[in-house]
Amino acid sequence: MKRSIQTAAGARSRGRRLLLPGAAVAAVTFLSSCAKDAPQDTFQPKGDNARNIDNLQRTPFYIAGVVFVIVFSVVLFCVIKFRDRGQAIPKQTHGKPALEIALTILPALILVGVGIPTVKTLFMLAKTSDTQCVINVTGQQWWWEYDYPVQDGCGGIKEPIVTSGQIVFPAKTNVLLKITSRDVIHSFWIPSLNGKRDAVPGRVHTLRMEADHPGIYAGQCTEFCGLSHAYMRMEAVALDNASFEQWKTNQLAPYQKPAADSAAAAGETTFLAQCSRCHQVNGVTNANGDPVISRPDQYVYSGAAPNLTNLMTRTDFAGASFDLLTSECKDKLWSAKPADFSALYLQGVTPDCFDAVQLREWLRNAPGKKPMYADPTKLGPTDGKTRGMPNLNLTEDQIDQIISYLTERK
Amino acid sequence: MAIAERPISPALARGGGTALVTPSSSLGVFRRPVSTTGWRSWVFTVDHKKLGIMYGVAAFVFFIIGGCEALLIRLQLAAGSNKVLSANAYNQMFTMHATTMVFLFVMPMAAAFANYLLPLQIGARDVAFPRINAFGFWCFLFGGIFLNTAWFLGGASDSGWFAYAPNTSVAFSPSHGVDFWALGLQITGIASLTGAINLIVTVLNMRAPGMSLMKMPIFSWMILVVQFLLLFAIPVITVALFLLTFQRNFGAAFFSVDKGADPLLWQHLFWIFGHPEVYILVLPSFGIVSEVLPVFSRKPLFGYKFVVFSGAAIGFLGWGVWAHHMFASGLGPVSVAVFSVATMAIALPTGVKIVNWTMTLWGGKLRFTTAMMFAIGLIVEFTIGGLSGVTHSVSPSDTQQTDTYYVVAHFHYVLFGGAVFGLFAGFYYWWPKVFGKMLSERLGKWNFWLMVIGMNLTFGPMHILGLQGQPRRMQIWTEFRAGDGFFNGAFWNLVATVGSFILALGIFVFIVNVFLTYRSKELAPGDPWDARSLEWMTASPPKEHNFDSIPTVHALDEFFHRKYAEDETTGELTQVTNYEEIMAEMEAKADKHIHLPSPSYWPIVLAISLPIVAYGIIFNRLLAVFGAAIVMLAMAGWGLEPSVADESDYDPPSDGESTKELATLG
Repeated sequence: MKRSIQTAAGARSRGRRLLLPGAAVAAVTFLSSCAKDAPQDTFQPKGDNARNIDNLQRTPFYIAGVVFVIVFSVVLFCVIKFRDRGQAIPKQTHGKPALEIALTILPALILVGVGIPTVKTLFMLAKTSDTQCVINVTGQQWWWEYDYPVQDGCGGIKEPIVTSGQIVFPAKTNVLLKITSRDVIHSFWIPSLNGKRDAVPGRVHTLRMEADHPGIYAGQCTEFCGLSHAYMRMEAVALDNASFEQWKTNQLAPYQKPAADSAAAAGETTFLAQCSRCHQVNGVTNANGDPVISRPDQYVYSGAAPNLTNLMTRTDFAGASFDLLTSECKDKLWSAKPADFSALYLQGVTPDCFDAVQLREWLRNAPGKKPMYADPTKLGPTDGKTRGMPNLNLTEDQIDQIISYLTERK
Repeated sequence: MAIAERPISPALARGGGTALVTPSSSLGVFRRPVSTTGWRSWVFTVDHKKLGIMYGVAAFVFFIIGGCEALLIRLQLAAGSNKVLSANAYNQMFTMHATTMVFLFVMPMAAAFANYLLPLQIGARDVAFPRINAFGFWCFLFGGIFLNTAWFLGGASDSGWFAYAPNTSVAFSPSHGVDFWALGLQITGIASLTGAINLIVTVLNMRAPGMSLMKMPIFSWMILVVQFLLLFAIPVITVALFLLTFQRNFGAAFFSVDKGADPLLWQHLFWIFGHPEVYILVLPSFGIVSEVLPVFSRKPLFGYKFVVFSGAAIGFLGWGVWAHHMFASGLGPVSVAVFSVATMAIALPTGVKIVNWTMTLWGGKLRFTTAMMFAIGLIVEFTIGGLSGVTHSVSPSDTQQTDTYYVVAHFHYVLFGGAVFGLFAGFYYWWPKVFGKMLSERLGKWNFWLMVIGMNLTFGPMHILGLQGQPRRMQIWTEFRAGDGFFNGAFWNLVATVGSFILALGIFVFIVNVFLTYRSKELAPGDPWDARSLEWMTASPPKEHNFDSIPTVHALDEFFHRKYAEDETTGELTQVTNYEEIMAEMEAKADKHIHLPSPSYWPIVLAISLPIVAYGIIFNRLLAVFGAAIVMLAMAGWGLEPSVADESDYDPPSDGESTKELATLG
């Protein structure tokens, strides 16, 4: 018995010597087995809030790694050392209270060490007093709407701006998102900028956002929100201050009527007949010259549909799920250096970068491309309204016209 | 000569000394069911052992169904935009996978072990309320079948097992799936709740003489803690499901935002149930490994009292952490801070258990049977799950992790590496007790290693996928967001899918093992493991009345201490007697008159009326009325039926000196 204790003690110090290298090997293995440049990586913060989280989360991961290596080593040691080799039945000891208490207090101390910075970071992330720019974020099945209320923040906004899919904001600025929902619960998450916050109907939740540099950051709705949850994405776009001013101006530019007799002009007519009952294009007028105001509340259960006034200033559509850019132009945009990014983004979808394939498929049969609740025979539970966009049964000519019209919406 | 008043099969009564008496009537309306063989002896039984076996078989069938659902999910996710399942089918699949595994596999499988073993471990002849026990089983089975019939009647629930409001409203989930889900779980909840009351009363009142609570086997202790958790948690989820049923079927507005409701009400109700539920799932397995490790280390459980109290502490703390499922829900920093710290605190009693299991191995004489390997596997795998749990308790990091695959990895290490490994340890350990035959150890080793490799390949990569931003509950992922490099999301998703099939193969080996064991004629010895606790101090499988004479308990690990004498100074152990001698001694002083409850029709009749009511609520209110009429009839019949047939119903009449204290209550 005595001899085995000595051996055990020897093994323990041997174990201690192996501990740190073991943990290091485990950490290296883990890190090297990850993807490079995963756009939603939670360990690559690109702004203060995500960096606060990242600084906080690394320590518990290291501690967890070390604890696992210890537990695994001790179990492995027991398995090798104490296997039945015909030794006598061991003494029937019932435990060592001192050891138990020590091994309860030690982790308690570690947890206190983790708990204090946790609470500190938590309150840091809940702060709203240093806000420099407010953006309202509204989730609905299955896309995000962003509106910029009139304010002195964000460099001054005199007239509300409404956009969707890509949330555009100035870099190096403390943005406060006020998040809510029009139907079910969604969750707003741009991993490189901050953790997620649920969008709950009837409640407004705040979330801080700040980006170190101009760039585009991927995100995804992360609260299960029904049929097309997987197609409810978003991207955060940070611009330098001057470019953000330019972006605001672009968004509020007056409506450009298509040239007479062009395909786009025919597209405007088709758009007014087929699309504008749900989709607003600011400034468009009907044959009598009266402004056309869309009424998605009459057709869509959530009561909203994306505003298409400046569709081509965004690089994707339908819950940021489908690209308007060719894949080369998309890669170029996503890999642009911070210094070049803002200018590139402001170009929007230029004719040589425009890829009509996805948009065309969408217009042919939207629910076929992205699952939606739009079968006209089954709309009883929603009072005849759809959740998402129905198939409009457009002809190929109509589709061509609408695409021509939409490519001018920049 | 013992007289068992419950009809028992001649096979079970072997060993002689037991006379059969047959109850002849029940109030003159129906004859009581008296078959001792054939399907009737199972369908109308109130024997905790038969019910335990039926719980086990039914739960295992649901395990296979839930496993197939999991394989379909993994097939869909093997590549980014696979077309194995449509979005709608995928949503139903992950909802039913979770619902099946939680409510129809792990919970009832734990109930199977508890039902079968708890009375044996505490030296009782049955549970306190045997007919309610039967009723519970049938509620579980019919509730589970009811839930799964949704697949054929318009589709299963597509709202996730967490069913967050308002996504469960008719407008957002127009099929009847959510109705099936809510009503089915109310029915299976009855099984859990009645079982909880039953087992609590059994433990507190029916322990063998001398068995103080601190001499009670650790498995029974963990089951007791779980029953208290169920007793308080099931009513909460029942209320939530009840509100949901009324929301969907009777125009109530508990979760309608436009009528002023707050959808977070559902989340609080669900998680006040849902978090204790995690411990409900995992504590029985903790109990199982706490039995298995000492037996195969040939040492008592290290720090028995600490394990008991840490189990109880988990039982209490488990109620104070529910909002850690809601760190991103917008509760405000103060609530989040409180729940964050409480969640860290729960790591302590959990850590105590891991320390105690490891220290039980330390200095032991370890035999690596399959049961032992699963138990050691649990220590390692559960530790991984526990530690990733600690990283969640850091609430700001949790806002990055929640609803990603990292969480999926975490709880599968807890529930598969913890709960399921424990159950498999239990299968191999108690199989000879329950069926009198040993499962093959050689196939067992294959079973174990395939499951270990399979589960780590399946769930290990999910840590990486989640931390690199892959969210849960999506039938597609894109190459673009999977990142670059060889080890990107696409690679790990494929590994997880391959792993899931290795895991399935491991479980298939188990099924083969069971089949071959069933076919084999070789009987197991009475005490194959040199076991320590009371359930091994009787025949395998046990007789109908469990023990010929109720043993008087002197120590924790009573059976072991009867077999071995301990030298007081050196602590050296010498074997003084063995299983056969102890058996012979118990049989020699067998109790004269053993009063067992009689079988009954009413539990199954009452239980089958509940799905009829539920179908009625969904499809036709008249059917509900018909079901309710059966409920009334069954309750009246049950209420008027004596728990034990009247003395004069027996043939021959009893001698009137029956030991009434053993008669159970209902």
